[in-house]
Amino acid sequence: MSLEFLNAFKFMKKESFLHNLDPRTKLILALIYTIGALLYNQIMPLFFIFLSLLPIVVFGKILKQWVKSIRGLSFLVIFIIILNTLFISLSFAIAMVLRICIMVSAFSIFFLTVDPNDLALSLISMKIPYEFAFSFSLAFRFVPTIAIEAQNIIDAQQSRGYEMQKKGIISQIKNLFPLLIPLIICSIKRAFNVAEALESRAFGSNKERSYYYTIKFSKKDWIFTIYLILVLTTLILIRIQFNSMPAWFLWGLPL
Amino acid sequence: MMKELPLIIIESVDYIYPNGTAALKNISLTIHKGEMVAIMGKNGAGKTTLIRTLNGLIRPTVGDIYINNENTNMKSIAELSQRVGLIFQNPSHQLFANSVEEEIKFSLKNLYQDNEELQAKTDDVLKSFNLEKYRERSPLNLSGGESKKLAVASIMCRDPEILVFDEPTLGQDANEIESFIKFIDSEKKKEKTIIIITHNIEFAFEFIPRTILMAEGKIVADGPTQIILSNNFLTERSSLVLPQTRQLSLALSNIGFQELTNITSRHEITEYLVKVLENKVTSIKEE
Repeated sequence: MSLEFLNAFKFMKKESFLHNLDPRTKLILALIYTIGALLYNQIMPLFFIFLSLLPIVVFGKILKQWVKSIRGLSFLVIFIIILNTLFISLSFAIAMVLRICIMVSAFSIFFLTVDPNDLALSLISMKIPYEFAFSFSLAFRFVPTIAIEAQNIIDAQQSRGYEMQKKGIISQIKNLFPLLIPLIICSIKRAFNVAEALESRAFGSNKERSYYYTIKFSKKDWIFTIYLILVLTTLILIRIQFNSMPAWFLWGLPL
Repeated sequence: MMKELPLIIIESVDYIYPNGTAALKNISLTIHKGEMVAIMGKNGAGKTTLIRTLNGLIRPTVGDIYINNENTNMKSIAELSQRVGLIFQNPSHQLFANSVEEEIKFSLKNLYQDNEELQAKTDDVLKSFNLEKYRERSPLNLSGGESKKLAVASIMCRDPEILVFDEPTLGQDANEIESFIKFIDSEKKKEKTIIIITHNIEFAFEFIPRTILMAEGKIVADGPTQIILSNNFLTERSSLVLPQTRQLSLALSNIGFQELTNITSRHEITEYLVKVLENKVTSIKEE
């Protein structure tokens, strides 16, 4: 078992229109697409929302990492398909898979293209107290570190005969304890260490902070935000008028 | 008489991480049953990657590894871990149970189906690792040295024939290092094959007969520890400093004790100096 897919959420510095956007614009993108995904339960509208994300991913030069993040969902996708098909219908199951793919893609775009330092700055500019903004960006920065630690824990447990793949849902849940407990303990220990390191560097001693650079909402951010608001408005209008949409738009599997 | 086959055969192994980093480049080596080997080299040299290939945690991109003449590619990690006990640097990566006793039982569950047998073996392990008094205690409340001991016990209880340690002396005090030395000595007497990754040059120089030196994913030297770690060129290439005993023998040979140039062990240097001093005392008395 590999946690390599978590790297698909790790920021990588690149030169693209997406990378140059303000983090707040990308946060709006993530939120609007999430809302859009939650508005519908049908295959076709969700499919079009998903499709509309693809040009952003391609022009943002993050196609490879995005594919990895979607591939990392395979276990969850199987789970969603089995449960929803058993209890509701295959159509609904596919729609739910599309919904989760849209939400993960939107946040994957955000995490892949937002520098953790810029994230803190953007939160501060939204009047969020510095301590909270810093904690949030720190949590964000530690995701790949925790992924490495989780991989080490899996390796250490496998070295003492622990078997990952066991049959049955209860066995699989029980199987998570040898991984989750050391991971939680190590993360708590790390959190205490980081807190002590910050305090020993006088974190929070000055109320007034100065910054190396500040972030600015530029013209291209406004244009992109207006586009996103138009997308959301269209999605809401379609949702309201959903029953008067053409038949192909309401299409679903007979199952 | 037929020569015994090596227990571990590594044949032209390459390993490339998914991000494209080549961690092992054309590694070939053999290790015989009962041998004790140190793997040394600077950080990022490929030492940990190499030992992870031994129990199948990672599979070679190119090449084959044979343990007891069986290709490891054909075996699962669970099967290999019964033969290769890999003891990790950080004990907190593997301790999770409610008590020390449960922690040992978790490692033994796959081997013992019968409850009485399982309990008897657990008691045996706790006794031999001197962990009986902590039986009911949570592994998370043990001290650093004790939790390391428990992590070792949880691997050793499966009785693997090959023991692989990743930095066992890191962060250990003198007493803990001494008890570790006693432990590996006793395992050596049981004909176990021991592989140790270490940056502790003094420890390797004194106690480990063979050293494999790695740099940039390749083996740059493989042979008797005392020769390899006395070689200035090799130690510098691996960001290591010469062992103190070697530095002492070189310093003494520079001031006239030429016989010490090729002496590397602490015992031999002490013996030589005692002899010189005895001669000096005798000659002073005679004068």
